[in-house]
Amino acid sequence: MTSVADPAQVAEVPSEPLVDKGLVKWHLTAAIFFMVTAMTWGFLVSLQFFGHYPFEGISFLSYGRVRLLHTNEIAYGFLVNGFVGCMYYAIPRMTGKSVASSKLGWLIFGVWQFIIVAMSVGQLLGFGQGVEWGETPTGFRPGTWELQYIPVDFLIELGAVLVAIQFLTPIVKSVRKHQYVSLWYLTAGMIWLILTYVMGNTLPEWTLAGTSGAATVGLFIHDLVGLFVTPMGWGLMYFFVPVILRKPIWSHALSVIGFWALAFFYPLNGVHHFLLSSIPMSVQYGAIISTMAVEIVVTTVVVNFFATMWGRGDALRTNLPIRWFFTGMICYFITCLQCMFHTTLTMQEIIHFTDWVPGHAHLVMLGVFAFWIMGMTTWLWPRLTGSDWHNRRLNHWHYWLTVIGLVIMFGDLTAAGLVHGYMLAALSPWMEIVRAMHGFWVIRTFAGGMIVAGQLCFAWNMYKTCTGEVKPYDYRVDLATVEA
Amino acid sequence: MDRFTSVLLVAGLGCFALAFVLSGLYPWLITDAKQTEATIAEVAYNVTTEFKQLKEMYPVAFADAYPTADECLTDRDLASADDDDPRRAQSDDAWRAAHAFALQAGRDTYVAEACWHCHSQFVRPVANETQRFGRIRVPADENNALQRPMMFGTRRVGPDLTNEGGKRSNDWHVAHFSDPTGTSPGSIMPAYTWFFRDGHQVFRTIDPDSAERTGIATSRRYPVPGVYATQADAEAALQRASDATPDNLSTERKRLVVGESEGPTPNALNVIAYLQWLGTWTDDDRREPQQ
Ligand code: HEC
Repeated sequence: MTSVADPAQVAEVPSEPLVDKGLVKWHLTAAIFFMVTAMTWGFLVSLQFFGHYPFEGISFLSYGRVRLLHTNEIAYGFLVNGFVGCMYYAIPRMTGKSVASSKLGWLIFGVWQFIIVAMSVGQLLGFGQGVEWGETPTGFRPGTWELQYIPVDFLIELGAVLVAIQFLTPIVKSVRKHQYVSLWYLTAGMIWLILTYVMGNTLPEWTLAGTSGAATVGLFIHDLVGLFVTPMGWGLMYFFVPVILRKPIWSHALSVIGFWALAFFYPLNGVHHFLLSSIPMSVQYGAIISTMAVEIVVTTVVVNFFATMWGRGDALRTNLPIRWFFTGMICYFITCLQCMFHTTLTMQEIIHFTDWVPGHAHLVMLGVFAFWIMGMTTWLWPRLTGSDWHNRRLNHWHYWLTVIGLVIMFGDLTAAGLVHGYMLAALSPWMEIVRAMHGFWVIRTFAGGMIVAGQLCFAWNMYKTCTGEVKPYDYRVDLATVEA
Repeated sequence: MDRFTSVLLVAGLGCFALAFVLSGLYPWLITDAKQTEATIAEVAYNVTTEFKQLKEMYPVAFADAYPTADECLTDRDLASADDDDPRRAQSDDAWRAAHAFALQAGRDTYVAEACWHCHSQFVRPVANETQRFGRIRVPADENNALQRPMMFGTRRVGPDLTNEGGKRSNDWHVAHFSDPTGTSPGSIMPAYTWFFRDGHQVFRTIDPDSAERTGIATSRRYPVPGVYATQADAEAALQRASDATPDNLSTERKRLVVGESEGPTPNALNVIAYLQWLGTWTDDDRREPQQ
C-alpha cells in the first residue's frame, strides 16, 4: 500500500482556508470546559465516600445525580466535542475538501452544547436513564411514551446524524482506491455511533427486558467505547502522529489489519460487563474470547505507534503533544493487557463490582483518550489562536499533575478493588469493608484533586493564550520548542 | 463509490449486526423467549405484607400516594368490617393496583436517584455471594417490565439488593433513608432528606426505670411509626395505642407523646415498596392479573 496519502506530506500552512478554525477552536473550548466541569463533579462526589460531600441533603445536587454528570459530561461533553473539534482540523486536510458547510457546523455546535446542558439539567432534576454511560434522559417516563422532559436521547441521535453528514461529505467526495486508515476509522466511528446509540437507548428501555435486554445494555456500554471512542481516538492519532513527527506511519498494512480486527472483535465484547450473570454462559464465553482477541488488535496499533516513534525518542523530551500521545499509548497498552486478564471468570469473581473497575475506566478514558485529546489540543491551540502558548511552563504543570494524579488514582483504586473483593468473598461484615476502604477513598480524592488542578492550569492557559497579547509563533521550529 | 469500498462499508455494518444477533438476540431465543415478559400487574399480584403495613404506619402519605388507598383495607379494617361489607370484595384489587403503582414509581425513583450506581441487583454463584446475599439471580428475575432497563448495577458501594424484600422492616428503611449513620454507624450512603416532609408524629420516650437499666438517655425520643396530617389525628392514634395496651402496662401511655416531626413522602413509600418487593417475586408467582 504505497500509494496511500501520507498526511506528513500535507503542507502545513497556518491559514489553510480548508479548515474553519473557528469551529475547531470552539469545539475544543467546549470540550475543555466540560472536561473541567465533569472532573469537578467527580472530585466532589468522591467526597461522599468519606462523609464530606458538601451538598448533602439537597436533592438536585445529591451524590447519585451528580455522579451521572461526571461520566456523561465526559462522554458527550468532553470526548464528543474534542473529537469533533479535531476532526474539523484533520478531515479537510486528509481529504483536501472542506466539510459540508460551516453554517451546518455552527448549527451542530449549538445543538450539541444545548444537548449537554439539557442532559445535565435533566439528570439533576431526576430524569436520568438507567443505562450506564447512557444516562442521558430519554425524556419519557421509563418504558412508556409519556413525555416528561426534553427527549435528549433523540436529540443526540439527531446531532450524531448531522455530524456524520458534515464529515462524510468531504470523505465521500474524495474516495480513492486506498483510503488512508484515519478516514476508515473516523467514517466507521461516526456511523457506529448512530447505530450504537439507537440500540442502547431504545431497545432496553422499550422492548427488550430479560437477559437479552441486559446483554444489549452491555453491548451499548462497550460499543460506545469500542466503536465510537476508540476508532475516533485511533483515527486522529494516525493523523496527528505522522503530522507532528513529519514522518509516515511505520506500516499501513498493519493499520488496516488493526481496523478490521477492531470492527470484527470489538462489538462482540459487550457481555463481558455482566459475567457470571443470568445471561447464557455460551454468550459470556464468546465475549471473554473476543475480549482476549481485542488484545491482538491493540497490539497492532501499539506496535505501529512505537515503531513510528522509533528513532525519534528525542521528541518525548522536546515535544509535549508527542509526550501526551506516548503516555496515552502506554496507558492504552496497560489497560488492554489488564482487560485480557480481568475478563476471565477467575478474576471476575474477585474484582467485579469493586473499585478495580473505576480504576480501569479512568486509565482508559482519562489515561488514553483524554490524554490524546489533550495532546492534540496542546498542539492545535497556538495554531488556532495564532499565538504561542501564554505560558509553556503551565503546559508542563498540566502534564505532570494529570499524569501523576492518574497514576496514583489508578494504583489506589486497583488496590482498593482487590481488598474490597477479597473482603466480600471472605464474608466480612459490610461496615468492616466500608471502613477498610476509607484510606483508599481519601487518596483517590487527593489524586482527583491533582488532576482537576492540572486541568485548571490548562484551561487558564488556553484562555490567556487566546485573549492575552499575541506571542509570535514560528510553526517551523515549533516541534523542538514546545518545552519549558 | 468504488465497489471495493462499498463492500467494506457493508462489512463494517455487518460486524455490528452480527454482534447484536449473537449477544442480543441469541440470549433472547434461548432464555427469554420461553416465557413471555411479566407485566407490572403480574409482578405486583402478590402484595407484600410490608406494603400493607405501610398504610397503617403512614396513613397520610399512603392516601396521598395511591388513588385506590381508600379501598385498601388493612387487617384492622377487616377485623372491624362486617362479613358482608361490600368493601371486602374490592380490597384485594385495590391493593394490587396500589402495589403496581408503587413498584413502578419506586423503580423510577431508584433509577433517577442512581441508587443503582452504589447497589447491585446481581447475586453471582461465586465468591460466597449466596451466603451473604441469598438466592442467585436467575433469568426470570430479569424477564419482567420492571427490568426495562435492567438494574444489574455497576458497583457495590452498598450491599446487593436482589433479595432485599423482607430483610429489613419498613421502620428500618425509613430511619435509614433519613439518616443512614443512625442505623448503620459509619455508613456512607447519602441521607435522602427530600424523602421526608413535616407532619405530626407519635413518639416513644424511654421511662426512667428502664433507662437506668439500659443506660439510654431519657431525653431521647424514638418515633413510633405513623405520621399524621393533624395534631388531632396523632392524638387519636396515641389514644388507640394506649387503649390497646393492657392495664398492667399502663406506663406505655406515659411513654407516648405527640410531637412535630418529619415523615416519609409518598415517594419514599414507593421506594420502600420496591425494596420490600425485590426478590419476593419469582416466575412461579405468575398469575393472570384480574380485571
Ligand atoms: C454512596 C453510595 C450509595 C448510594 C447512592 C445509595 N446507597 Fe444504599 N447503601 C450504601 C451503603 C454503603 C450501605 C451499607 C451501610 C448502610 O446500611 O447504610 C447501604 C445500604 C442500603 C440498604 C440496606 C441493605 C441491607 O439490607 O443491609 C438499602 C435497602 C439501601 N442502601 C437502599 C438504597 C436506596 C433505595 C438508594 C437510593 C435512593 C441507595 N441505597 C443509595 C451506599 C449507597
